[in-house]
Amino acid sequence: MVVVLKQEEMLNLAEDAVSFALRKGADEVEAFVYQGLTTNVVIERRQIARTSRIIDRGLGVRAIINKAVGFSYTNILESKAAIKEIVLKALSSAKASKPDEDWHNLPAKKTFASVENTYDSNIVELRSEDLVKVASVMLDAAEKTDKRVFPIEGGAGASYLSRAIANSNGIASFDHGTIIECSLATIGHEGGEVTPVCFEFNTERSYDIDPEWVGREAARLTVSALKAKRMETKNTNVIFTQFALQQLLYYTLINAVKADYVQRNQSAFKGKIGKQVASEIVTIYDDGLFNGGLRTWKFDGEGVPQQKTLIIEKGILHNFIYDNYTAKKEGKESTGNASRAGYLSTPNVEATNFHLMAGNRSPKELISEVDEGLLVYSLQGAHSSNPASGEFSVVATPAWKIKNGEIAYATKGAMLAGNIFQVLTNISALANNERKIGQLIAPWVLVEDVKVIGK
Amino acid sequence: MLKDILIKVADAAAQKFGAEYVEVRAQSLFKTMLTLKEGRVEAVKQGIENGSALRVLMNGAWGFASVGALDVETLTDAVSVACKMARAASSRLKMPIELVETKAVEDRVLVKPRKDPSKIPIEDKINTTLAMNNTILGYDSRVKSCTIDYLDLTGTNYFINNEGTYIEQGKLYVWSRITATATEADVFTFSREEIGSTAGYEIFDVETPEIVGERVAKRAVEQLRAKPPKGGTFPVVLGPNVVGVFVHEAFGHLAEADLTLSGSVLLDKLGKKMASDVVTFYDDGTIRGAFGSFKHDDEGVPAQKTILVKDGVVVGLMHNRETAQKFNTKPTGNARAEDFRFEPIIRMRNTFMEPKDYSFEELIEDIKFGYYFKSFRGGQANLDGTFQVGIQEAYEIVNGEVGEPVCNASISGNTLETLFKVDAVGKDFELWPGRCGKGQTAFICDGGPHIRVKEALVGGSA
Repeated sequence: MVVVLKQEEMLNLAEDAVSFALRKGADEVEAFVYQGLTTNVVIERRQIARTSRIIDRGLGVRAIINKAVGFSYTNILESKAAIKEIVLKALSSAKASKPDEDWHNLPAKKTFASVENTYDSNIVELRSEDLVKVASVMLDAAEKTDKRVFPIEGGAGASYLSRAIANSNGIASFDHGTIIECSLATIGHEGGEVTPVCFEFNTERSYDIDPEWVGREAARLTVSALKAKRMETKNTNVIFTQFALQQLLYYTLINAVKADYVQRNQSAFKGKIGKQVASEIVTIYDDGLFNGGLRTWKFDGEGVPQQKTLIIEKGILHNFIYDNYTAKKEGKESTGNASRAGYLSTPNVEATNFHLMAGNRSPKELISEVDEGLLVYSLQGAHSSNPASGEFSVVATPAWKIKNGEIAYATKGAMLAGNIFQVLTNISALANNERKIGQLIAPWVLVEDVKVIGK
Repeated sequence: MLKDILIKVADAAAQKFGAEYVEVRAQSLFKTMLTLKEGRVEAVKQGIENGSALRVLMNGAWGFASVGALDVETLTDAVSVACKMARAASSRLKMPIELVETKAVEDRVLVKPRKDPSKIPIEDKINTTLAMNNTILGYDSRVKSCTIDYLDLTGTNYFINNEGTYIEQGKLYVWSRITATATEADVFTFSREEIGSTAGYEIFDVETPEIVGERVAKRAVEQLRAKPPKGGTFPVVLGPNVVGVFVHEAFGHLAEADLTLSGSVLLDKLGKKMASDVVTFYDDGTIRGAFGSFKHDDEGVPAQKTILVKDGVVVGLMHNRETAQKFNTKPTGNARAEDFRFEPIIRMRNTFMEPKDYSFEELIEDIKFGYYFKSFRGGQANLDGTFQVGIQEAYEIVNGEVGEPVCNASISGNTLETLFKVDAVGKDFELWPGRCGKGQTAFICDGGPHIRVKEALVGGSA
């Protein structure tokens, strides 16, 4: 099999590309080497039927000539000629492009903060047989829970990721990490009725997942989603679980705090630093150093140290997140929020671990405080939100009606409509059940006065 | 010769490692991309992606390996890993996977663009996107931002399997996404369009920077004075762009046979009447130049025009070789992989509703109050048949006429219930390019005529 590239090899590749580009006339240059090794075991319709091993690696070179930026990449690293060719392509791209007066320079070397629990050798050493076992445990747990549950898809996966970056401003850094995950999606059948897809998962940087819980929990949700009823149209209290919250925030709030959006008049938060933008109980950090965070790395996609940035404290907007370009445009320093799609892309401003701080109520207590409302696990159509205004109009599915402080029944076809910025203001309580989902770390949140459109 | 390498690797898998089935897909692709933000060229990007995907069937389980290489040693190693992993998975197999038999194909498909994007200088591509940008920002001072992404992809896909199929297929895609925002007081609006073609760079002769730019900018500005819809059940008229996404999201995904088998509401509906008489749907991979077209799919099966619903009756599903075997039918050429990093899965191609005989005026004339949904922002469906389509351009219909613009609306409902409520179908037809996500991205088109739905659940936002 393809040999795994080691730290020195990746750094050498990056540094060689940088020095070659400088020799060929680049004013500035940056080279990013990415390597991803992923093994997956896939569940399909009640059985483990597929496995895959994906090795993806490559080099991306960003070259600047007269303030014009060019980029080129290749996934062929074995040949020196191929690497020279893409360096030349980055240069020809820069020459074809147009100067950008706001371009200052590439970032300089800075000391990294320490990060914890981002690499686990146990994950690297896993064999596909081990992942088959993880998937089996999960599958069995789901099927044992209830006969009406039908696991449709899911699986177990383990990845090793490594990245090296070098630039003409003195940066030469390497970092690596691991990810392990297991997930299961199930539906329930009963008397001709089909539930919406119910889903549960674990994703961790260390080998610390609980496939049995995932299987059981997916099945429990599915059973409780049976016998769904329609709701009436009215404004009500809504508890968003982390899944639903992540879907809602990804297309709206998270974009609104990106400097790129703010500078380009696409954010409702422009000019709102120091102002109240959310309920007083809301405090949010972008925490690129979160212990075991799914997006925790020593440095971002430009080699800038990741950091913990206060976004909203007690409802007051404090900071936006920046990459090198957007920061220097304002005479500021990057907050370490440059993200890249491996070797395939130039950096973009992106949140790292978007951390909405938890409260102190248990989920059960949170539900018990609701006389009448909705518990929403997932949303359909969140990507069709208006990213500029924050307006959304989505289907809550699966979702459950709450009556007198208890879950009463599953609902179907309920739509939620509103504005994310109004939602932030209407958050009235936070649970203590924080968890990591994609780039979000958050608890359940209780929001008052959300418009629900039923039959 | 790449062909000889692929033959050797396939032979090794079948003879040395004992795979029941083996296929090797190899790719050599070249991409040019650029992003413009308010006329500023963010970066001009060029990329080379060469790699191979190896898929084997061992004891009825799939093994898949993907590597960024085209040499015989690496590929032989990778295929042995795929075999080993498939064997590990097969230990838990209840129903071994089998593939329906297909005719072996040998073919060499060349793309013949009038304007080959790989031969067009980057400067011209910058100028085209700049012209679009200038139209948009020059349209109205309230248009504040404009992002244009451009991509072209050219290259060759190679496919070989141990059943005698060998295909070399030229690949060509030209794509652009254009978004703009407008602001006035506290109101933010957002507008987007996509362009996509498998024909060539000549797409910009039809979708000129001026035509597309004005479409995007005009919508963003008109939306500034739009009001939110009333939430509730109303008669609606859907434009071809919204009909397309409805056919794709609300029905199409349920008719992808892998999702059907996973328990979509269509599972026991084949041959049954599930929509009103005027409803006929197709998924067609053979439309010349359309964004979802190709000659052979990624299992080496020829693309075809597949009928899904005929006069309201569900008559077909979209298949790969695995599901076709399960349903005891023929594969439809719907197996697609984004690139060598992905396994082929069942994907749509160009999915649309067949036009009938109503004019637009006839569709709206009897509606006292309702909505005209002209263009969508996004859509999604669930296996239980719940769908949601978010709308970026909508109008009220008042006393049989198109009225004021409406913002941030969406429609939702149960697909099958809604299909019975389609009571009139227009005689016009448009096909729109787009991208569909199902764990990997596929380029597709969808469309149809204008249609009227007696009643649909409309989500308002105020």
